[in-house]
Amino acid sequence: MSQINLKEIKAISYKKATIKKGYTDQSLRVNLDANNIIINPIEEKIKNKFIGGKGYDLWLMWNAVKASTKWNDPENAICISSGPLGGTPGYPGGGKSIVTAISPLTGAPIDSNVGGYFGPYKKFSGFDVIQVDGKAKEDTVIFIDGIESKIKIFEAKNLPSDSYELSDTLTRYFDEDKPVNVSVVTAGPGAEHTFFGCLNFSWWDAGRKRVRYKQAGRGGIGTVFADKKIKAIVARYGAISMKSNNPADFDGLKLVTKTHAKEINELDPKQNRMSLVGTTHLVPIMNDHDCLPVHNFKFGSHPESRVIGEEVYEHIFDKGFDGCWKGCTVACSHGVKDFSPFTGPYRGKKVFVDGPEYETVAGCGSNLGIFDAQTILEINFYCDAYGLDTISVGTSLGFVMECFENHLITTDHTDGMDLSFGSRFNALEIIHQMARGEGFGAIVGKGIRQMKQIFAKDFGADMAFMQDIGMESKGLEFSEYITKESLAQQGGYGLALKGPQHDEAWLIFLDMVHNFMPTFEDKAEALHWFPMFRTWFGLCGLCKLPWNDIVPEDNKNTPEPAKVMKHIGWYADFFSAVTGRKTGPDDIITMSEAVYNFQRIFNLKMGFGTREHDTVPYRAVGPVTVEEYESRQKRYDEQLKEKYGLDISTMTSKDKVAALRQKREEQYELLKDAVYERRGWNKNGIPTIATVKRLGIDFPEVMEVLKKNGIE
Amino acid sequence: MIEVDGKQVPWSENWTMASLLETLDNVEFCAVARLNGRLVSSPKFAETIIPDNSKIQLLPLVAGG
Repeated sequence: MSQINLKEIKAISYKKATIKKGYTDQSLRVNLDANNIIINPIEEKIKNKFIGGKGYDLWLMWNAVKASTKWNDPENAICISSGPLGGTPGYPGGGKSIVTAISPLTGAPIDSNVGGYFGPYKKFSGFDVIQVDGKAKEDTVIFIDGIESKIKIFEAKNLPSDSYELSDTLTRYFDEDKPVNVSVVTAGPGAEHTFFGCLNFSWWDAGRKRVRYKQAGRGGIGTVFADKKIKAIVARYGAISMKSNNPADFDGLKLVTKTHAKEINELDPKQNRMSLVGTTHLVPIMNDHDCLPVHNFKFGSHPESRVIGEEVYEHIFDKGFDGCWKGCTVACSHGVKDFSPFTGPYRGKKVFVDGPEYETVAGCGSNLGIFDAQTILEINFYCDAYGLDTISVGTSLGFVMECFENHLITTDHTDGMDLSFGSRFNALEIIHQMARGEGFGAIVGKGIRQMKQIFAKDFGADMAFMQDIGMESKGLEFSEYITKESLAQQGGYGLALKGPQHDEAWLIFLDMVHNFMPTFEDKAEALHWFPMFRTWFGLCGLCKLPWNDIVPEDNKNTPEPAKVMKHIGWYADFFSAVTGRKTGPDDIITMSEAVYNFQRIFNLKMGFGTREHDTVPYRAVGPVTVEEYESRQKRYDEQLKEKYGLDISTMTSKDKVAALRQKREEQYELLKDAVYERRGWNKNGIPTIATVKRLGIDFPEVMEVLKKNGIE
Repeated sequence: MIEVDGKQVPWSENWTMASLLETLDNVEFCAVARLNGRLVSSPKFAETIIPDNSKIQLLPLVAGG
């Protein structure tokens, strides 16, 4: 490769803001149309209402975009924030960034929570949040140098195209002597040519002396990044300590950090062992509970899943510290060294694979009928290097494979490739095609919602069947859990603001296994409380895993074990110690509720955010086909007889599929009613005037959007 | 004897995970356990025999991704 060429086209020096109680109270805007670099103060009332993280991102985006803004319009803004608690070394999961943009897949705001050091480095460089808008004419690198207090925009030539090499190259370029000072955000060629491009956020792994990365995967923010011709955003900062946030109560912060970290150190080895196996322990657990997606979510288990779970990956993962944030004791970001891909541009070379996590194993493994740990590693590697979201890739390919097996598409459409379940080489070839923007892969890269239109219009495929089996809602592909037996989790997916991602609510076991929420009201309460609480992690710059994936030994004896109230108390203490705002557990919910409802109204502003958009494909609710029904016949027959009181003695399987569908779809609509009521929304899923006033988000522009939608 | 969450418990022949849980308090949220390091999920509790000298950890509620 030729020598990389970064030509400086704009540079400013700035006076670094003093960080007070977790905040710099400044935002940075980079407009690529005019190469403007603008530093703005953040008003106190905005801070108090939106808290930080996703809240700040959404507020800046709201002001940046119009109702008519499309994902590839210049005014679409990519916003990145870490929140007031982000950047606390040693606090488990204390270094997250939250990224937002208008999504190419959904047309609405999307948010993604990601590890790596970028968010904290950016904050300690002087900015709570950055907003990048406009479109560059040439490939561009943005450099935020918190050590020299300079911001630069470069025109870039001869940079590597993939994230794997690009992150490494830029890390060394910007601080050869101390690469630990650098964190790089990159996309890749797949982000350029698909609608589900991800962003890779890097950090320097001092033990292995190499760049590592985590992904802001969901919703195609990488695609927006590539469309703006951004090759990378780089942040550089020096040493960080627990004093970097200038906390209001340093001793209190030290105490709560030490307490939480110590508990995880002691209990993780006894519980999920995430510091050894990451989230791959979920593979056998989901399989045993019939919740592991197999063959495009048709089934929930498969005997061969034993070869793609923790027992295999524990031995493959490279040993060493794998925290994506300084001193995180969960340390679940495992990887595999010296992996040699058997396809693609890295074929035969040795690479380091960052992953896989559960979602990648399930989405790109069992869901595709690929029960081979090595192939999953290769898919993981190329998705990251190309900047592709492994969840959307896996779920989209599962849809394609089921369409292929049902002859909705044939080799005439797939460039001659057999795309039956289990076709691992052809699955990889599709991914390479996505990166090149060529062939059938270019169609798959548009995502399921657009594929359904193309398959119906151009290939004559049955739209009704594709609506049933295409695992997308709001345009976003489902993450990797089977929800057929959990009505609450159907709502967890279908009522999620950005689309079916499990970060708002994961209620499958509470609902399906423990029967902890038997009534609609119970489910609605859970679908209020859990999304509100989980939203708070995104406001503050935190990871949710330390909350409830490792829990106190006495948690089971508490009145509400699912909430892990002891940890919520610690989080309230953490917030109080950093920000000086005396905070209790109930305050956490109130903070989140304001931002949550604001995001719902943001969806409304963009033409979504109503009941009709909270639908899910029937595959998420019940068995679409006779094959599916008969695979779990005893379960479904019993439900028809005992739960719904039907006489099924003369029914064919096809009749039973139809009868069950009618009942389950009715239940889902009743669930919507109950949840909307609990959240203070009307029957159409819109927050009421009373709700926005109660939450203090009754800004004139918010009221205007409500008025346009008949809410006065 | 077997060890359950660090405590010694007398072992009984043909004991299963399901029968063990029946003897314990506050385990309604236990959907998964580790039996000698291997994961065992609730659908298999009734068929999983506990050998003598086993080490068992009851995992907390499964919280998803």
